Amino acid sequence: MNFQSLSCSIVLTLSAALFSSCVAAEEPYARITFPPDGAKLDAMSQNHIDYEVNPGPRGSHIHLYVDNEEAAILRKLSGSHALEPLPPGAHSLCIKVVNKAHVPIGVEQCIKVNIE
Amino acid sequence: MYIQNISYALTQVVHNFGASAVLGGAVAALWLAPRPELERALGWLVLSGWAAQIASGAAFGVISFYYYEQFPDISFAGTVALVIKLACAASGFSLAAFYLLYARGKPQAWRRCIWMIMTVLGGTALTAAAFLRWYS
Repeated sequence: MNFQSLSCSIVLTLSAALFSSCVAAEEPYARITFPPDGAKLDAMSQNHIDYEVNPGPRGSHIHLYVDNEEAAILRKLSGSHALEPLPPGAHSLCIKVVNKAHVPIGVEQCIKVNIE
Repeated sequence: MYIQNISYALTQVVHNFGASAVLGGAVAALWLAPRPELERALGWLVLSGWAAQIASGAAFGVISFYYYEQFPDISFAGTVALVIKLACAASGFSLAAFYLLYARGKPQAWRRCIWMIMTVLGGTALTAAAFLRWYS
């Protein structure tokens, strides 16, 4: 293999690697997949929240907030978490992606639920 | 992203060396006493360690605020651990300064008592740091 073809191969390989990493990079997101926004939940049942998150390059793990109070630290990027019993009425549930220093990076989703 | 990570990492380096100085210096003083001149040098090490802990702890907050315009979001347990760390840092820094100012000519028992308190403060701060890390 001469120098020109070797250089060409290296450039093509690097370009492919760069391009594939750009294509593979997905926008970070935080999704509460259950319950849906505005859902009515039974006060007598064991309620839970299902979620999935892509923390992106800046995120590390997830904080769960119930009525703006931190309720749990979630280190799995998708899964289910049982909620503590909540009194009847309207409540907010939020998941926020935070970095290793526990600072919310702006990737979050909040919903409202009604406990009846 | 790179600058942000390197900022956090370098701050963590200072914080870790500060932690090793405050506890290691106090334990070494207890272990190697009575050697007044060495104890004095260790007093400076512990004072510097607490200063590094305070400065780097504040730097974590500053970096977070600079990049995200908010401070770390920590739980109740994490907040308790942080308050304990802050109390240890303030007490440890003050006690190390007090030692350097007034230890000359004091009996060995007096100096040993100070070093024991500083060991407890260092150990407590490091223990609280672990809870702050994992309960936040």
